[in-house]
Amino acid sequence: MNAPAVPLLEIEGLRVEFGAPEAPLVAVDDLHLRIERGETLVLVGESGSGKSLTALAVTRLLPAAARIGGGRVRLDGEDLFALPAAAMTAVRGRRIGFVFQEPQVALNPVMRIGDQIGEVMQRHLDLRGAALRARVVEALRAVGIPEPERRAREYPHQYSGGMKQRAMIAIALAGEPDLLIADEPTTALDVTLQAQILELLQAEQRRRGMGMLFITHDFGVAWQVADRVAVLKAGRLVESAPREVFYRAPRHAYSKALFAALPRLERRARPAVSAASPLLEVRDLSVEFPIRKGVFRRIVDRVRAVDGVSLSIAEGETLAVVGESGSGKTTMGRGILRLLPLAGGSVRFRGEDLARLSESALRRRRRHLQIVFQDSYAAMNPRMLVGDIVAEGMVAQGIGGSRAGRAARVAELLAQVGLAPEHAARYPHEFSGGQRQRICIARALAVDPKLIVCDEPTSALDVSVQAQILDLLRYLQQRLGLSFLFITHNLGVVAELAHRVAVMHRGRIVEQGPVDEVLFAPAHEYTRQLLAAVPKIP
Amino acid sequence: MGEFVVLATDACLFALLGVGLVYWAIARRHEHLRAPWREVWARPAAAGAAVVLAAFVAIALADSLHFEARGEEEGDLVSLLDLALAPLREHTETSYSAPFATQAYARETRRTAEGQVRREYPRLAYGGAHLAEPAQRATDLARRASAGVMLGLAIFALPLLVAAGRERRRHGGLAAALLAIARGRTRGPWRSVLGVTAVLALLVGLSAAIAPYYHVLGTDKVGTDVLYQALKSVRTGILIGSLTTLLSLPFALALGVAAGYFRGPVDDAVQYLYTTLSSIPGVLLIAAAALLLDVHMSRHAEAFDSLAARADLRLLALCGILGLTSWTSLCRLLRAEALKLREIEYVAAAQALGARAPAIIRRHLLPNVMHIVMITTVLDFSSLVLAEAALTYIDIGVDPSMESWGNMINAARLELAREPAVWWSLVAALGFMFTLVLAANLFADAVRDAFDPRLRRLGVDAAGLAESPVR
Repeated sequence: MNAPAVPLLEIEGLRVEFGAPEAPLVAVDDLHLRIERGETLVLVGESGSGKSLTALAVTRLLPAAARIGGGRVRLDGEDLFALPAAAMTAVRGRRIGFVFQEPQVALNPVMRIGDQIGEVMQRHLDLRGAALRARVVEALRAVGIPEPERRAREYPHQYSGGMKQRAMIAIALAGEPDLLIADEPTTALDVTLQAQILELLQAEQRRRGMGMLFITHDFGVAWQVADRVAVLKAGRLVESAPREVFYRAPRHAYSKALFAALPRLERRARPAVSAASPLLEVRDLSVEFPIRKGVFRRIVDRVRAVDGVSLSIAEGETLAVVGESGSGKTTMGRGILRLLPLAGGSVRFRGEDLARLSESALRRRRRHLQIVFQDSYAAMNPRMLVGDIVAEGMVAQGIGGSRAGRAARVAELLAQVGLAPEHAARYPHEFSGGQRQRICIARALAVDPKLIVCDEPTSALDVSVQAQILDLLRYLQQRLGLSFLFITHNLGVVAELAHRVAVMHRGRIVEQGPVDEVLFAPAHEYTRQLLAAVPKIP
Repeated sequence: MGEFVVLATDACLFALLGVGLVYWAIARRHEHLRAPWREVWARPAAAGAAVVLAAFVAIALADSLHFEARGEEEGDLVSLLDLALAPLREHTETSYSAPFATQAYARETRRTAEGQVRREYPRLAYGGAHLAEPAQRATDLARRASAGVMLGLAIFALPLLVAAGRERRRHGGLAAALLAIARGRTRGPWRSVLGVTAVLALLVGLSAAIAPYYHVLGTDKVGTDVLYQALKSVRTGILIGSLTTLLSLPFALALGVAAGYFRGPVDDAVQYLYTTLSSIPGVLLIAAAALLLDVHMSRHAEAFDSLAARADLRLLALCGILGLTSWTSLCRLLRAEALKLREIEYVAAAQALGARAPAIIRRHLLPNVMHIVMITTVLDFSSLVLAEAALTYIDIGVDPSMESWGNMINAARLELAREPAVWWSLVAALGFMFTLVLAANLFADAVRDAFDPRLRRLGVDAAGLAESPVR
């Protein structure tokens, strides 16, 4: 036992490149990592840092535009880059299992779940017939799928999101791999499901003594599963340390900056908001979606996405709405702006009911209520210049004066959100995610709104950028006296920004109150569940 | 040259050219429009095909400038192309003659000076008429061909020097630039462009040297030069291919985008309209419309100045009918895209800003469906050129008096049944059509690849490396 043990996975000087060989774009540079049997290494980093490319390079499944520029990957001492392509197929699935971020696209929609698991077992374990079927059912049971005999015969669309990810894990484990690579396996899931999936992955890893390479951008998730943590920045390894050491005292400045940017779920002093008459008052708001059937698409039934919601927002106040995906948060936000037809209720803005206004009367009021979306890429017409995008509201509302006057206002707005005036002549795709979100905020500000509905504006951003956007929103609130209806699933962000919070569950608000009360003394059972599922960092 | 005459299709073709120029001017200023065209240009096959297409379009445009003829043909319409091809147009024989022939294809009964009746192959009025003996043909052809090659090379020298001049700076010197072009080491696809240009220049040079003295592609039943016919047919083919889409575009765009954006009753009405239209067999609709038009024209014969104007109107009508039967597929595509776009967040943001529906459609929907229009237009072009041939073959296409590849192929039906067979009309028509359609298809492929966002977003984009912040 004294012989120097060969590590399960050893990455030596890995380099991944894009573009022309003469002037390559290096995405991963000189990366060294080791994973022992039974150990979980968590690779953390922001988007574009090369985390996923590293995982793909290990299995030699890089996208066509990328290539391995150098280095070595040894699995159990065997150089994977030296193997012929045919031998690699025996490594993938059998010795290395892979779990992807999006179970929706990683599963074949026209194949039964059982067959997709069986395919791997048939290929790698040489099982057939009844033995195979029994093994498939066993695999599904192991990942916590109820009634596995029946569920094995179902198709992916009959599974919920969490069950799909469980099925993906069953497929990854079907070949009894020595190493499991999980690439952001819980990012697409709600916190309660995330907690379950993380637990499952850890249990399976311990039971089988597998090595695990776990990729995430979330420090909370990393704390929960890691034995060791490695931080990647722009394709380079910044720091690698055992979990406790890393979380107690991160050595590198970059890691420290990332920790500082994390929104923390803790009590803090919040400036009081004048409790004068509310700016916006929503009563019994309902939004329904019709279910149509038959040749003439008659409406046979309706789904209540938002079911009798009441809330109010004062001037200069931020009300956060939290809830899991599908709870009706986004639908409510759009309903308040009447971007969707309302089924009932009233939306009083300064005493005037927007729900009863005619279309043309509403159009003039729209300048008071604006919206910022989650996906800043989809939120801007890719064929318009940034200046035209920001000026759109002024044109639509007929404000801002002449063309030159609008251009001056656009420059002013861009400066206000931390961009340069000359950015008005660029296209949206030339900007990073955070910069694009700033443009979207400038567009909303252009019509001097009183209230902005922020629909998960930071969910697609890295933590450091998220912190900057939150700072910007807070600054704008102080400066312009704006009110925010802030829709999010991130409770840390709520604690950071909001004055009050409303918890939504299945189209209803189950609890509402000041942030400190709801988050630290929750009254409703669902709020408690939600809080318990949030991964905590010591 | 007489008075300038503008036929209906001439006006349409030049309007189309104007639209193209306006689009070019707009595209030059907008990076999102310029980038895909740069990508098309970077593909050697597409760049070569573009040269061929440009040559065809140039022929069609030259054939669309009409004048009233003077002199013996008083009253007829001639085009710029006719003037350029005057020798070909005027050198008509009495009947069939094979390519490069000096004698007719069929024997004629002649009475010799001695009063004997003989059946022989008579000499042609123009083909090889300058030769004293038909046996001299081979040497004469070789001499003229070498002169033609020289002329072709002289024509080719101009684009070659222009290209080398443009590349000179990067490669240091004219000779180095020429070498780089020959090796395909330039940034632009000069090698394929110049290769295609060289072939075209040689063909032009050879034709210019030989065609006035021989019928390069033979003559048809009434003795018309087949090369002339084939060249005249270019305009018909191009018109059918481009005008049809242009005529169907307003319907497809307006109805498709409106149906997708407004949904509800508008969508229902548009959907019922195009499902009904597309369930009627297209050929039936075209046959019925062609018949109606024929009856109308013979009742109002006095309304048309000339045969040419009449044939021209019939061509325009054919484009309209073809457009009417073909807008449904584009409309369906545009409706689906508009349905998708109306749910996208920048449209929601515009609604939240209080923008009206026409402004949203103009600013956000139309620019984002234009790639579909572009792809459909170029993909449909070649199938429409082929459709013309098929429809004319069954006599519901263009006017029989109008030169078109369909008419040439239609005539070849009987010619092939002759003994010995007359094959050159068919071969000429197929050759020209094949070249045009192949070039159009190659070009269309590149356009689709460059404009289709689904194909474009592969590669680097997928790895998330496309995010490059502005500094």
